[in-house]
Amino acid sequence: MKEAIKVEQLAKSFTYYTKEVGVINSLKNLIYRKSLTKQAVKDITFSIAKGEMVAFLGPNGAGKTTTLKMLSGILHPTSGSLSVLGFKPYERKKEFKKRFAIVMGQKSQLWADLPAAESILLNRYIYQVEEQTYKRTLDELVELLDVKHVLNVQVRRLSLGERMKMELIAALIHKPELLFLDEPTIGLDVITQQRVREFLTHYNKHHKTTIILTSHYMKDVEDLCKRTLIINDGRLVFDGNLNQVHSAVNETKIVKLKFSHSVEASRLEPFGSVRQTDGFAATLEITKEQIQPISRELLDLFPIEDITIEEKPIEEVIVSLYNRTQPV
Amino acid sequence: MKTRLGTLKTYGIIYLQFIKNCFIAQMEYRTNFILGIAVEIAYLLSKLLYVVVVYKSDLHIGDIPPDGILMFVGTYTMMTGLYSGLFFTNFVRISDYVRTGELDLLMVKPISLQFMVSLRYIDLGMPIPNLAAGITMVSIGWSALGITVTAYHLFLFALYLLSALVITYCLMIIPAILSFWFVNTGGLAGIFYAIWDANNMPMPIYPRLIQRIGVYVLPFLVITNFAPLSVMERLDGGLMLWGALVPILLLVCVRLIWRKAIKNYSSASG
Repeated sequence: MKEAIKVEQLAKSFTYYTKEVGVINSLKNLIYRKSLTKQAVKDITFSIAKGEMVAFLGPNGAGKTTTLKMLSGILHPTSGSLSVLGFKPYERKKEFKKRFAIVMGQKSQLWADLPAAESILLNRYIYQVEEQTYKRTLDELVELLDVKHVLNVQVRRLSLGERMKMELIAALIHKPELLFLDEPTIGLDVITQQRVREFLTHYNKHHKTTIILTSHYMKDVEDLCKRTLIINDGRLVFDGNLNQVHSAVNETKIVKLKFSHSVEASRLEPFGSVRQTDGFAATLEITKEQIQPISRELLDLFPIEDITIEEKPIEEVIVSLYNRTQPV
Repeated sequence: MKTRLGTLKTYGIIYLQFIKNCFIAQMEYRTNFILGIAVEIAYLLSKLLYVVVVYKSDLHIGDIPPDGILMFVGTYTMMTGLYSGLFFTNFVRISDYVRTGELDLLMVKPISLQFMVSLRYIDLGMPIPNLAAGITMVSIGWSALGITVTAYHLFLFALYLLSALVITYCLMIIPAILSFWFVNTGGLAGIFYAIWDANNMPMPIYPRLIQRIGVYVLPFLVITNFAPLSVMERLDGGLMLWGALVPILLLVCVRLIWRKAIKNYSSASG
């Protein structure tokens, strides 16, 4: 399979300065500013095949968006090499720009005072899309996202979900081979999130578009991407299927118990970490190796009505990954 | 050559789309559109008081009579209209684009970022009073001075107006471009507005040193002086050539500074 993106030892640092609270410090700042350097991305290496749909996960400030901005040519890398669709993005060649699109959940490319149709038409001229192709693509996207009725409504009067769908249409009107999505479902209601996810899955499948997505919503990642890159503190700490995260980093399981009579929390403490208890129900976190003997012991010692053993919620596993700065 | 013409055509079509989009957007807010024109008329009337004073006091600047001064004021008024209509709205937004990181989405478009950022918004209402008054003043001054209306004179006037437009673009965008380094450059923009306003009288009103600086270093004085001076046949060959060359030189400089500025762009978080 051909590579769409190849990144080696990519790094990006920014300079910034701090200022203490108060007027005096503002005056001091006028005369002297101490420059500090933040390494937003630290020597990350990965490659993404054409047609793949990959998620970037990580806490705020981890370096996801900075990486995305380097891949799309918005930012110059400080060091390392990167190739996107055979181009060096930071050269910002027109031929490269015609082949990808970027959608940012918190920024808009649509003119707020105009109907979205006008901004989409402007993109047709900017990307020099043939009229027939433009009409066909627009019809297909409008149909898929079910927004025909609001195409001619002023953008500022649209709901957040409708606006995001229009952003997607404006971004896809030139049929890019590569689509960067920076938190595309942020702030959307659950149903609209679901519609956007369905649309992206369909689009990726039918057009073989490579999609790179950053998101805070685990559901986005679980539903859309087989492969996840987890970035923390500028480093790549995990690269693989999200389902493998459990086996890779999770050493505990969650045991949920229901009792027929009240059981004191202190009696459960020797068996594992007690996460929650109200006398008649309790949740324990137990290491994987001990799960069998301890379950047996619990069944023998306590008036148990029901017992379930579950994997730790994926969100919690990810949080534990966020605390790592070394690859798994 | 064919490709260049094709590119020019594409940019022409996109610019027409910009005009159309701005027209539609401005028509959405009719009251604001009309108020904008009204404010500009009030501002213009205050400026016209100069003209009244010039005529009442029979002011001569050097050997330029009041009718000649009217041509300069008229050119200044026209240029103010063109600047406010074509450039002003765009330039004031540039530092915001840098500060908020809004430039990100413009940067990925396969057309010139400078074109997109500096020419995308056109104010169609504000320039109307200035353009109408400017053209009227120039016509009255022209006729009163007895300058013959020949194709050559019209060509000269149009050429130096075009040169003035390019110089206006290049000079007034400088504070905006510097925002790539300093983020907020409102102070410098204020100085440039003040210099702009000092341009509403013929340049012989200033000492020779200021004239030299205003023509050769920071060529603000070329903007409103060269078009009327050319038809009054008061521009020597060297100045005529300089008036035609300076917009090209400035465009090259601005282009180079712009490229450097874009490399310096660090976006904003989020």
